[in-house]
Amino acid sequence: MQRDDLKREIKQLLVRELNLTGRDPSSIEDDAPLFGESRSGGLGLDSLDALQIAMLVEEKFGIRVPEGDEARPIFRSVSSLSEFIGKERDAKAGTAPNG
Amino acid sequence: MIVVTGLGAVTALGATASETWDRVVRGDRALTELSLFPADGYRVRIVGEVPGMKREGPDDFSRTSELALQAAREALTSAGLLRSDAHALDARERPKRVGLVVGGSTAGMLETESTLSVILSPEGTVDPEVRDEALRRMLSHPLSAPTDRLARELGPFTRVRSLSSACSSGANAMLVGATWLELGLVDAVLCGAADALCRVTLAGFNALGALDPEGARPFDRRRRGLTLGEGAGFVVLEHAEGAAARAKDAVCTLLGWAAQAEAHHITNPEPTGDAPSRAMRAALARAGLTPADIDYVNAHGTGTPLNDPMESRALAAVLGDAISRVPVSSQKGQFGHTLAAAGAIEATITALAIANGIVPPTGGLEDPDPECPLLHVRRAESRPIRAALSSSFGFGGMDTVLVLGRADAAKSASRARRKARSVVVTGAAVVTPSGVFSGLDVADVPDRATESDAIAYDIAAELDIDRARRLDRASRLAAIACERALGRERGAAVDVVRGAAPGAGHDGDAGVVLGNAFGAVDGTSAFMRRLREKGARLASPADFPSLVPSSPAGHVSIYLGLTGPTLAVADLATSGECAVTQGYELVAAGETDRIAVVAVEEKSTIVDEVFRVVFGPDRRDTSAKSRPLRREGAGAIVLAAEDVAVARGLPILAKVDHVLSWWHDDAAIADLAPPPGGASGGAVVVIGTAAGAIDAVLARAGWSECRRITCADRAGSHEAAGAIAVAVASATLAKDSSIDAVLCVGVARGSGYAITLGRWRAGSS
Repeated sequence: MQRDDLKREIKQLLVRELNLTGRDPSSIEDDAPLFGESRSGGLGLDSLDALQIAMLVEEKFGIRVPEGDEARPIFRSVSSLSEFIGKERDAKAGTAPNG
Repeated sequence: MIVVTGLGAVTALGATASETWDRVVRGDRALTELSLFPADGYRVRIVGEVPGMKREGPDDFSRTSELALQAAREALTSAGLLRSDAHALDARERPKRVGLVVGGSTAGMLETESTLSVILSPEGTVDPEVRDEALRRMLSHPLSAPTDRLARELGPFTRVRSLSSACSSGANAMLVGATWLELGLVDAVLCGAADALCRVTLAGFNALGALDPEGARPFDRRRRGLTLGEGAGFVVLEHAEGAAARAKDAVCTLLGWAAQAEAHHITNPEPTGDAPSRAMRAALARAGLTPADIDYVNAHGTGTPLNDPMESRALAAVLGDAISRVPVSSQKGQFGHTLAAAGAIEATITALAIANGIVPPTGGLEDPDPECPLLHVRRAESRPIRAALSSSFGFGGMDTVLVLGRADAAKSASRARRKARSVVVTGAAVVTPSGVFSGLDVADVPDRATESDAIAYDIAAELDIDRARRLDRASRLAAIACERALGRERGAAVDVVRGAAPGAGHDGDAGVVLGNAFGAVDGTSAFMRRLREKGARLASPADFPSLVPSSPAGHVSIYLGLTGPTLAVADLATSGECAVTQGYELVAAGETDRIAVVAVEEKSTIVDEVFRVVFGPDRRDTSAKSRPLRREGAGAIVLAAEDVAVARGLPILAKVDHVLSWWHDDAAIADLAPPPGGASGGAVVVIGTAAGAIDAVLARAGWSECRRITCADRAGSHEAAGAIAVAVASATLAKDSSIDAVLCVGVARGSGYAITLGRWRAGSS
């Protein structure tokens, strides 16, 4: 899957699973901050959402997100999240037999 | 002056309060690998499990109710109210009126999980008879079930209450017991709480990453979370004069208490510690004490990264210079965080600390975190304790603080009891399948009944959906009803006022009481289904907090920025009347100036299925278009102290004349005044859910000839209907000048409520 498709999928996942009702997934900027005040252009998510996203990434993509401080840069934006998932997926594919 | 005359506790450390205490003082820790159920896939399996518990009993047996029974029996026995050879209270002994308040959060969840595993089995894999049997058991363990078991096995009690405010439930059980004594509603009261370990809480806290893999280490630099425990704590409270009259020595005194809400977040504590500070200050003020009088603090001290520094900041703000002198400790590293039971168990420990003059340690603390600059207790120390604080903070930001003092404080200062404040209704709103009604329009609700049982319109459109995204359906219905009852605009922005003292009089100073009979049944079932199918690693951290029975109360407080006392109550079909009664008591006793009272029931596929099995003629007859057995909706009123309502110019719909609550023994109905102008005068009876027993109450009280309005008939039973009835009654009084008095009655199983409202006239009292 291309990174753009991945980003689209992540945006849809965020809107659906975090109940961001009324928000069009395509209106989420790739680099907009996921956390912090929604007034400053971000999504206004918090640490409970981060836990939920980590769980969803594990469920949908089979990838474990590191816990604690290591996770911070991964959760910065849709871009950083797709970067992480893409890399982990590539790494997995690379080590798979006949991969 | 209120004294503590009996104590009981069961924890992983000991089967009694004294055994637990002895091991607490020794610094023992009882955190071990879970044995109660298989826990594959959990990050953390260390818990504070109570060894050697019975596994079965009566139909409504649960591990929680068994824990509660043990601790409650010990408390009654040590208070001298239960002879060691007797099983239940001796009604001939003094005191005459003994109340029972029980807090909880999981109730029989452990047993419900087994039932759910049958119900959730794929179709065809379970015999339909077996499934029906499981459905019959499914609602055996609401929040009120342990209370019912205690009342049945230990009673007679004259007044009974089941409440939840998550991890402050135990402390709030004592607060409610204290208000009953102050209001003269009981002569003694058994108060406490119990919670057993179960899959839902272990998986939930595991998903939140809130469990310390090495066992809880409160205030330690290396702490990584809490350890779940289980247990029960109970105390007997009574007036000092009552204890003296039966020559019973007190263990200690209960000098002060207060509850405040954070209105911040459903799981995370508000970082400045504003609400705990407000609760500590208010509890000290109620006790008539200053920080200089405090010699020990029994902290909430969970060991989570966020709680301990927040609590340290709150303590520093309240204690000031005394912070360097007052030892602080937490026992959650010794027997775990017992959730609802924590506040009650820790009150028994605080009581024994005072009685013995020993400050107990913080087990598990080795390397104190500089973010928690407190006078920590690494080893138990002997030193006199004149008075101590015990703090408990619950999910959703429900914070309660108790102040306990030495037994001889009862002799030195005989404080006058507070007079019950006059209470008025300042707002009403109802959400039903036919719409959202507020103000005087609420009077029309009984005429606007629909055939439909579920709300078909878009309730999200009634909310600021960005802020309401975490609210489950019950919380959304409750929030809509409370917002309109408070007279606020739809989705009005909220600025939470922090730093103001309770009673400072701002728009957000109201508390919240929420009535709900069964809790999040479908939510729990969905959580358990996921846990079964996907394992503990994929349990939903975001869904877990909504499964706590008090969660909708917390959500309402957060959504509406309400910072007063916040808790949930449950009493089966009379949960609505129970909530109104609880709200009235808190305002009348001066715990808050205003409170939003709401009862809510959401449509639940599982509850509907259970009702069809239990009550339905033939649930397999899908051709019969049977009437709904249960509707969804919410009813809310706002109660305020009359003087506050007048001073603030709030609209007054009605005056609360009398609130009566009884348990089995309905002799209390004798206190119910007949309609003021006789049956032909302007008196009306408004009933939530019709029940045969109500006719008998009305006949005895002389109200049977009055016009009757029923909000939900038997075919559309509604556990929240009692609150809808009181909302309708209030609006009817304000709208129809020919009506002078309204009686709302609800009766279910053992409990009954009668709430009389009258026309409010300026300067009438």
